[in-house]
Amino acid sequence: MTSYEDFAGREILPLWEGPDPVNVPMIRHWAEAMGDRNPIYRDDAAARATGRPGIVAPASMMQAWTMRGYAATVEGPDAGARAGAAAGARELDGLLEKDGYTSVVATDSEFEFHRELVAGDRVSVREVVESISPEKSTALGTGRFVTTVRTYTDQDGEVVAVQRWRLLRFRPKEARAPRPRPAVNRDNAFWFEAAREHRLVIQRCAGCGTLRHPPGPCCPHCGSFDWDAAEASGRGQVYSFVVNHHPRHPAFEYPLIVAVVELDEGTRLVTNLVGVEPGEVEIGMPVVLDWLDADPDLSLPVFRPQSGIAA
Amino acid sequence: MSGFSGAAAIAGIGATEFSKDSGRSELRLACEAVLAAVADAGLKPSDVDGMVTFTADTNAEIHVARSTGMRDLTFFSRIPHGGGAACGTVQQAALAVATGVADVVVCYRAFNERSGVRYGLGQADGPAETGADSAAYAWLTPFGLSTPAQWVAMFARRYMHEYGATSEDFGRVAVVDRRHAATNPAAWFYRRPITLEDHQASRWIAEPLHLLDCCQETDGGQALVVVSAERARDLPHPPAVVLGAAQGSGDDQHMMTSYYRPRITGIPEMGLVGRQLYAQSGLGPADMDAAILYDHFTPLVLPQLEELGFCAPGEAKDFVAEGNLELGGRLPFNTHGGQLGEAYLHGMNGIAEAVRLVRGTSVNQPEGVRNVIVTAGTGVPTSGLVLGADR
Amino acid sequence: MNGRTYEEVATGEELPPLPIPLTRTLIVATAIASRDYQDVHHDPGLAVERGSTDIFMNILTTNGLVDRYVTEWAGPAAVVTAIRIRLGVPNYPGDTMTLTGTVTAKHDEDRRVEIAVRGENGLGAHVTGTVAVRLPAKDAT
Repeated sequence: MTSYEDFAGREILPLWEGPDPVNVPMIRHWAEAMGDRNPIYRDDAAARATGRPGIVAPASMMQAWTMRGYAATVEGPDAGARAGAAAGARELDGLLEKDGYTSVVATDSEFEFHRELVAGDRVSVREVVESISPEKSTALGTGRFVTTVRTYTDQDGEVVAVQRWRLLRFRPKEARAPRPRPAVNRDNAFWFEAAREHRLVIQRCAGCGTLRHPPGPCCPHCGSFDWDAAEASGRGQVYSFVVNHHPRHPAFEYPLIVAVVELDEGTRLVTNLVGVEPGEVEIGMPVVLDWLDADPDLSLPVFRPQSGIAA
Repeated sequence: MSGFSGAAAIAGIGATEFSKDSGRSELRLACEAVLAAVADAGLKPSDVDGMVTFTADTNAEIHVARSTGMRDLTFFSRIPHGGGAACGTVQQAALAVATGVADVVVCYRAFNERSGVRYGLGQADGPAETGADSAAYAWLTPFGLSTPAQWVAMFARRYMHEYGATSEDFGRVAVVDRRHAATNPAAWFYRRPITLEDHQASRWIAEPLHLLDCCQETDGGQALVVVSAERARDLPHPPAVVLGAAQGSGDDQHMMTSYYRPRITGIPEMGLVGRQLYAQSGLGPADMDAAILYDHFTPLVLPQLEELGFCAPGEAKDFVAEGNLELGGRLPFNTHGGQLGEAYLHGMNGIAEAVRLVRGTSVNQPEGVRNVIVTAGTGVPTSGLVLGADR
Repeated sequence: MNGRTYEEVATGEELPPLPIPLTRTLIVATAIASRDYQDVHHDPGLAVERGSTDIFMNILTTNGLVDRYVTEWAGPAAVVTAIRIRLGVPNYPGDTMTLTGTVTAKHDEDRRVEIAVRGENGLGAHVTGTVAVRLPAKDAT
């Protein structure tokens, strides 16, 4: 059985030539839609004035030359170019589909351009998997980031651009209400701001060094109002937990596991457990930190069983 | 015995009916309950010079006083922390009476908690306010921990883990409550007892809590009148003398979520209340003839029995299973049916039942009751009373 | 011809902000111009069915707009050598994305300038990234 780790280095799209040569009408159409008035895309003389041989294509248009366009929607994903796709692509799609990652969104594109394209160039592309991430919780849903390298070549086989391309393949969340907003004030803002950066912190008294959570303005041990924040290791164990069934808040999936986790540092916090069924949770179970990006401005620490961590 | 023990007594009790939809304003419920209590005491509203209620109550003193015909008030006070306030209202009244600050103090609580704003639906959609009370919810509601049942379930799970208690042990508390309610015509669950099997078969609310571990929600009002013990002796009913009245807030106290203490199987604030009650009254657990223990959720009845000295830590499950809470048992418990069985009136209806027990007029009156211990809300800063027959 | 030479540009220089109104027509027209016919970029009903709140801009267009933003500032002689972007919140119709940029590095050996770009809409950061352009030398203009 193939696993996600096995896909690194595998070709998922053999060399495939775009349907149209680089041409001025498509360039003009692109520049018009983008609102790009750079004369080198529409005026031969202006382009030559910059030392170019004539009209060039915008660098960012590289990928468009190899898009299948409307044909992809009519013929379906297995037709056309995909019919010639490597076995790797079909295997990867099958694996992703089996795990319910039915949705896709592009998250990163890193282009290095080797030369500008001019009318008449024929662009081909070949795609190889670089890496596939462990399952991640994102604002869109749970999924894996698939990173590939797309190499663009011209009619002579010369590389014209290299693109690192990252897609999130994910299980879409059901349309959910946003989670209840925390009331953020001067005493707790640091904690939620750190969480947005995926850092779990614990308030630490600057006077006596005592860690405290939930945070407060003043140390109950020494009375100091001075404090900083220590970064937690992210390891802990389940101290107690509940499985919520009723009432149901539209932000959550039920049954919902809420736990009090005791961190290795000694403080406890209320959190959610993920990657585990309600019936499998036990008090004392070792857990490790993960992050839930609930929505663009709310990230929350959640925990998953230590044994369930992917290598 | 402390300075004010024996100095004050509850002389009147009055309530509205307990329903799911009162059909009238909370202020009207408050006025009805207050007037009934004043009448039960054989007094007139104009005799009242003190008022105590909960900070959670929406019926400000002046509106109740103006509406019911009270005149000059020399004492008014409010107790915070939800249901934890119940017995604290009587303590305030007793202190006022004992020190001469007031002669007749009315304690009251009235709300449309079932047909209006329901606590049971949780705090998740609270308003965007960032005071300390709101910020405390920031550690809970974004994770979906937002209702009292869920908060209590977290304690219950740990209690089960450390002491080997089971869901059935919690269920036995509900069964006793409902058995007593079944013979109380004022109870919502009058004539509707349950079995342990019913409890086990009821649906999950927040594991390990079943539906039948959770109290109902109620519309209604309840009031009490406190006067000096001396004066109470001239009034129609036998006085229920306030032998002890205490409040308690523990170390590292949170609202329903004190999960950060070294141990969370006990209720330290209730232990604090109990020690004060016994010191004030000069009595001990062995002197208590009945108990009205706060029972919004069954699991926290067990550690109350432990904190109040009726059994050792971890042994409440055996104390309950041995039948000690039954009418013929060592410590008849929640003879009105408790909040699970009679009504959820934030603990105030339990104080009224304790008065009836001292008067000898409970519908489930055990033999020879002289002293009754009453507790208020658990998981929050709380309060307690020892009421006794005149001696 | 107006444009910048390598020597004119200093690290730390900020590009003038460029607000781009995100009309429905812009989102559809740019998707089609980039030959991206996925329904989430033009069909509101299907976009909602797939868990979005509306149609949203495709990543090829984000590349195109970032390219346009930097080359408008740099001038027609500039040659784009890299565009590296990460997407954040979606660009939905009715919003406005404002692009900002700062020169973060200069490489004398090939007159290459790196510009950190950021596009913010009403929901937050839609795009963060870097564009590298090669600029003409002063004596070449």
